[in-house]
Amino acid sequence: MIETLLLVLVCIIIGGLLSSLAVHLMPVGGAPAAMATATGIATGCVMLMTGAAVTGLFTASTVASFWVTKPNVILVALSGAVGSMLMMGFTMFVGNLIYIFGAGIVPCSGRVAVDPITKESQTEYKTPRTDGHGVPPASFVSGILGGFSGGFGGALIYVVLVSDSYAHFSVATAGIVAMGIFIANAIIAAYNIGGTIEGFHDPKFKARIRTGLTCSLIVSVLCGVIIVIAMLTGTLAGGVM
Amino acid sequence: MGEEEVKQEEKEEKAKPKEEFKLSFDYFNESRLGIFALIIGILVAIFPGLPAFIKGIGMMIVFVWGADSVRKTARYGLGTGVPSIGVLAMGFGIIGGITGIAVASLSFGTLVVGGVEIAFGVLAGVALLALLGFVSGNLANGDKFINMKIPGLERGMTELGMAGTLAVLIETSIITGTYAITSVLPNVINNGVIAVIFIISAFGMLQPLNTCLGADERRGRTLLMSIEIGGIASIILGLVTTLTLSAVQGVPLIVLGAVVWVVFYRAYMKACMKEAYAVKGTGLIKTLGG
Repeated sequence: MIETLLLVLVCIIIGGLLSSLAVHLMPVGGAPAAMATATGIATGCVMLMTGAAVTGLFTASTVASFWVTKPNVILVALSGAVGSMLMMGFTMFVGNLIYIFGAGIVPCSGRVAVDPITKESQTEYKTPRTDGHGVPPASFVSGILGGFSGGFGGALIYVVLVSDSYAHFSVATAGIVAMGIFIANAIIAAYNIGGTIEGFHDPKFKARIRTGLTCSLIVSVLCGVIIVIAMLTGTLAGGVM
Repeated sequence: MGEEEVKQEEKEEKAKPKEEFKLSFDYFNESRLGIFALIIGILVAIFPGLPAFIKGIGMMIVFVWGADSVRKTARYGLGTGVPSIGVLAMGFGIIGGITGIAVASLSFGTLVVGGVEIAFGVLAGVALLALLGFVSGNLANGDKFINMKIPGLERGMTELGMAGTLAVLIETSIITGTYAITSVLPNVINNGVIAVIFIISAFGMLQPLNTCLGADERRGRTLLMSIEIGGIASIILGLVTTLTLSAVQGVPLIVLGAVVWVVFYRAYMKACMKEAYAVKGTGLIKTLGG
């Protein structure tokens, strides 16, 4: 019993840390990106990450239903990661199509002079007094990695809550609780970023990731303890379907 | 029919002295509103046997409190938009609500005194989420952590954690009339009503400031919109309650919601038009006189 509770707590903490990391990896442009004057997708961290995580939860819950009892934790978590990666990939790809063919701009980074992946120079393509445009290759890769991390984290929380070897909540309870924990972590991370970020190559990433992960650790531990208290009551287990 | 109504409304407006229609939140300043809403919210939440429309009023008061807390914290600029803090409140609320319901379903979580159910267990969820909100507020505002430098963010997040939890609890008890997990799971969680609860409560708290924010934002006007959204939420919950419990519980809630919606929509529009420098109607909304 104690091992199960500890395992659930540890998985919630790992899931929370991964979702916080995911938000730091997203190419988030916010309102300036809607006018193509900042690098990234034209929305806030929370909206982007919640969309990706919910897609991940859908794929994870579909894959989890393949097992009658005791779903394989790693496989379900990986399927959630794939769902989130696809969602992020489509969002960034379509965003880029609109930026390039609709607005007529060249995707380029505003925060680094040379793209760390393609080694292409960026500064010539940046319009003066803007903060980059579109989703350049480094940000795209970073966004896919963020999708992997966030989807894996969210689905990991979901699968330990739904699996009959661990918490054994009903499907809907596990889903909504996983989303609640994910959102709490994602928003604390979004406040840490404070506006826009381009991805792992952004100087902001290196400067702020440690604070973000520390805060996420504390929030995840508290969320985990609250969920373990809910598990200890035993009333949610068994999941009346 | 529409034009006649408009004329009638205009006549009524002229006939009535304006003072009578004015709703003031001056007495309920931020601290008084918080204490009042907390007490009312807890009283409504621990008695799941109350009629649905009384719980509906309690829910609206909790929404106003949440909206006031969002206003308190978000007017300094969060960097990620106002919706993030409303969604955060409901993310907290879902965790706290489910924990509170789980505790209340235990044998010692609910007392029955003279046939009246008193669910003390739900307060565990509220207390735990107050703690979580306080800790995350300190993380977001602390010098050694995120350092957002927003005055009163700790208090705002504590209040939002409690308001979100109370909103989830009260709405659950409106729909099921009890906190027994055997009734809550099929009627609220497994059929997906919890997602509706999540989003309407988040809107009740985040939408008022998100709509009204700007240089001329006024507290009284912002909170009017929160009550109006409470009315819309009551209509939606009333429909669900009619299906899950009975029409006896659901229909009064729908009527209450409709009345509140109409009254506070009018009050909000009047306040907007009175405080605006000039209003030019597009003709889309008849009350603007376009």
